[in-house]
Amino acid sequence: MDRNPPAAETAAETLVEPGAVNGEVQPGASRDMSHLLTDLEMAGFIVNGYHLLEPDLPEGLNERIAGRLDGLGYNPGDAIAEVVPELWQVIEHPAVKGALVSLLGEDFEVMGHRHWHCKQPHTGHMSWHQDSTNNRDYRIDRLLGLFYPTDITPEMGPTVIVPGTQFRNAPTDRMATYSNIHGQVPMVVKAGTFALTHYDLWHGTAANRTAVKRHMIKFLFRRVRDNKAPTWNHDPDVMDVPTAWGGKRDDPKNVLSFGNPIGVGQSDHYKERQIRWKCWNNLLGADDALDD
Amino acid sequence: MSSTPNSSVRQRLLYLHARTPSVFSEILGYTPVEPVRDYRAEITADVPDWPYQTVHDALVDGWQIVQFPHQQAPIDDRDLDVVGYEFILQKLEEVQDG
Repeated sequence: MDRNPPAAETAAETLVEPGAVNGEVQPGASRDMSHLLTDLEMAGFIVNGYHLLEPDLPEGLNERIAGRLDGLGYNPGDAIAEVVPELWQVIEHPAVKGALVSLLGEDFEVMGHRHWHCKQPHTGHMSWHQDSTNNRDYRIDRLLGLFYPTDITPEMGPTVIVPGTQFRNAPTDRMATYSNIHGQVPMVVKAGTFALTHYDLWHGTAANRTAVKRHMIKFLFRRVRDNKAPTWNHDPDVMDVPTAWGGKRDDPKNVLSFGNPIGVGQSDHYKERQIRWKCWNNLLGADDALDD
Repeated sequence: MSSTPNSSVRQRLLYLHARTPSVFSEILGYTPVEPVRDYRAEITADVPDWPYQTVHDALVDGWQIVQFPHQQAPIDDRDLDVVGYEFILQKLEEVQDG
């Protein structure tokens, strides 16, 4: 197996079944849409900047991965998936690929950088940060994939994210005077959880107050080209609903318009709304009509 | 204020990030800084209940604002930067070593 597979091949495998013969979709064959995200999940990602998956991994896989990590005496950096090759079973799981195709397009790329974040026992928190420089854009171009092979409790030093911060032009140094933020979400998750987060989402970790190592393996994915059409399980009529001023807001249109996961002020909320709709339209492949 | 051999009057700090520049708006971020050795403000998985919901609540409890947030709007009013508006408050109190 290619250890850094071109995602176009793997994603296409997901999308042409059933009905594919020798890799080609036959007339009348339908795509397998079962692992693609829904409109509501896509809107939720645009608003919150993350999406949690609990793929049905083979029995014992989480334990084998965690066991290998527990026994590692060094951090292999980008080579972690060569040292622990079982990780490819996670990346290539249809649910993971389906979410990646939905968010990054059918030919998304699994980038070469990856990292084993082993939070040692009895170590302190990590402050809010973005990886690298922030990339603030309305497009969804890069995602982090955070895999947790064990259950993560609040005491084990979970990753903590701040929903909705992915569109903020805020270098890490500007986050230094924050600790807890209203609406932050700790990744207190079940073994086998794969969290997809927007690359620019504010994140940190709590302290590990236990005697066990907390494992997280981070992967990086990127978009290769802008969408020409939706790559998720999209209903063209999904926005044909009333705007719910003050009413029920659990459909994609109203989630995009009114979602406010950390309760920011009105001016910020209006700006967020504009950026979200630009993001949504870009994903629809309708970006040409968006210049304002 | 008096001090004992193991205590002194020190500056406690409180960084509050409010929804708007108004002291009456809700707090989005709460970071206390205690003037004792090895103290660190931490991100926690279980967020405790904050004692104040607004900057005004902290004023009522005796905190004093030492820095108000800048209120100039950015030139490009379509971009977003940090979360909330930062107020820095202090209390001068006798604090035990430790």
